[in-house]
Amino acid sequence: MGLTVGSNPMSMDAIAELLAERFAGDLADVRIQEPDTIVARAPREKLKDLAARLKADPDAGYETLNWIAGVDRQTGFESVYHVYSWKTNTYLELHVDLPREKPEVDTVTGVWPAADWHERESWDMVGIVYVGHPDLRRILLKDDFVGHPLRKDYVDLVENHPHA
Amino acid sequence: MPDQFATAEPDEAVKLALRRIEEATARGEGSDVDGLAFNEVVVNMGPQHPSTHGVLRLVVTLDGELVKDVIPVIGYLHRCKEKLAERRTYFQYIPIVDRTEYVASINCEWAYVMAVEKLAGIQVTRRAEFIRVITGELMRIASHLVAVGTFTADLSPLGTAMVFYMFREREQILDLMEQLTGARMMFNYFRFGGVRYDLPDGWVERCRDFLAKFPKLIKEYEALVDDNAIFLQRTQGKGVITQQDVVDYGITGPNARASGIDLDLRRTRPYSVYPELDFALCTEQHGDIFDRYRVRMEEMRESVKIIEQCLDMLPMGPVQVGSLRAPYVITPPPGSCYVGQENPRGEYGTYIESDGSRYPYRLKFRDPCFCNLQIFPKLLSGNKIADAVAISGSIDLVLGGIDR
Repeated sequence: MGLTVGSNPMSMDAIAELLAERFAGDLADVRIQEPDTIVARAPREKLKDLAARLKADPDAGYETLNWIAGVDRQTGFESVYHVYSWKTNTYLELHVDLPREKPEVDTVTGVWPAADWHERESWDMVGIVYVGHPDLRRILLKDDFVGHPLRKDYVDLVENHPHA
Repeated sequence: MPDQFATAEPDEAVKLALRRIEEATARGEGSDVDGLAFNEVVVNMGPQHPSTHGVLRLVVTLDGELVKDVIPVIGYLHRCKEKLAERRTYFQYIPIVDRTEYVASINCEWAYVMAVEKLAGIQVTRRAEFIRVITGELMRIASHLVAVGTFTADLSPLGTAMVFYMFREREQILDLMEQLTGARMMFNYFRFGGVRYDLPDGWVERCRDFLAKFPKLIKEYEALVDDNAIFLQRTQGKGVITQQDVVDYGITGPNARASGIDLDLRRTRPYSVYPELDFALCTEQHGDIFDRYRVRMEEMRESVKIIEQCLDMLPMGPVQVGSLRAPYVITPPPGSCYVGQENPRGEYGTYIESDGSRYPYRLKFRDPCFCNLQIFPKLLSGNKIADAVAISGSIDLVLGGIDR
């Protein structure tokens, strides 16, 4: 296969332009974070489709998922996807806003297999539901733990961890 | 009287393994072993198991001696590192980062400190940058010694000799680190904009002494195992990670480089003074256990070269910015950033979000072992159980980092 890093070097401006053009209407607030990351916002309804297109893009090609972080924004939640493009050797940080009362977003495990555990962790810690995930169990905490500790309104009670 | 021999209720992972067997039976899949009736058994390996190098638990479905399915269960060492960050100032959090991935803790500190510096716009002094590279590479050697030593100990009685030799040298590195930082493993040494102490008198000479004799010792280790028929039989062609796996699962570090990929954040996303240093990327072609072992051995040689260059180039000057004391309270402007660092095991990154207060709003670690462990079900399935132990040793996991 002969995978090399940075086989299609592009300047950050060129990548930002390319993304803004090819994904117009899907990616919003495209901005460059020095030295090598593009930060953008994506609507949650289109995430799955967008992820597949980002991965398949012939020039940028974000093929590897680096990590997913769930963030409690108090007014809502946010799922942050950090993906890596081998061709351009740059990163894309995708922020997806989720409503407070229904923090659900489609899983991207079908696109990036690495998303499996990261989504489980995000569910475990922040309580974001990844719809369609093959095995959405707790990962770091015990099976019978109650609540999601990285939520800002989480109150630690003895009853939350029955077997501690 | 409670029945002390009563079987515990199976937990979610075991239930999942049993469910998968039922599904396979319903599909009409039988045993892969000749002459064996369909007879699968679920074995719980760990969390207290000498070959899992920590509290990793693998729920293994066995078909005879063949591994059919693996479900890794983690979290036994979870210490809520990310939650703790909510009530600690940026400065107070430095020693906690040490305790995430404790085998190469200085590299974890580095990743965290770099992220905060980037967020707060703090410039690191030049001498401190060199000291950081020196300590980071010393710990890379120490970490690879632990990795290779314990992994060979898993393979054969020969390896138990190896692990003692390797820990002997690791102890010398820890001595050097102790003279520098005051601690053997939990250093708490990096500060925003620099490091805590300058190099003590005579440290450079002691470090050079160690570097002068270490390459000969690497040769000694290689003479011990490289031509050993048993070692080669057990490692070559087993547990192959393909380049597609690397792309799919986000494998980083020596495990990715053993598959022939020149991915190394010191090169591909250069930080600190690495662009000024001359070092080679160690890659191999096959991605099997033996290649992963080879990459680690070669990297130790490269680390020696890097440290020697740093000692030669070491400039004079302060090791901390501004006054003698590091800034205790810093309030980065609102925003977020992610910085990855080439840890001995791969990309160790810190994602920090600041809301402008003294505490991080959200802190997340991207741990290389967490990502590398994800490939276990795919990698171990289809191997013999004895090889599964060898493969899991060659991936080099540190559970402190995985569980955080």
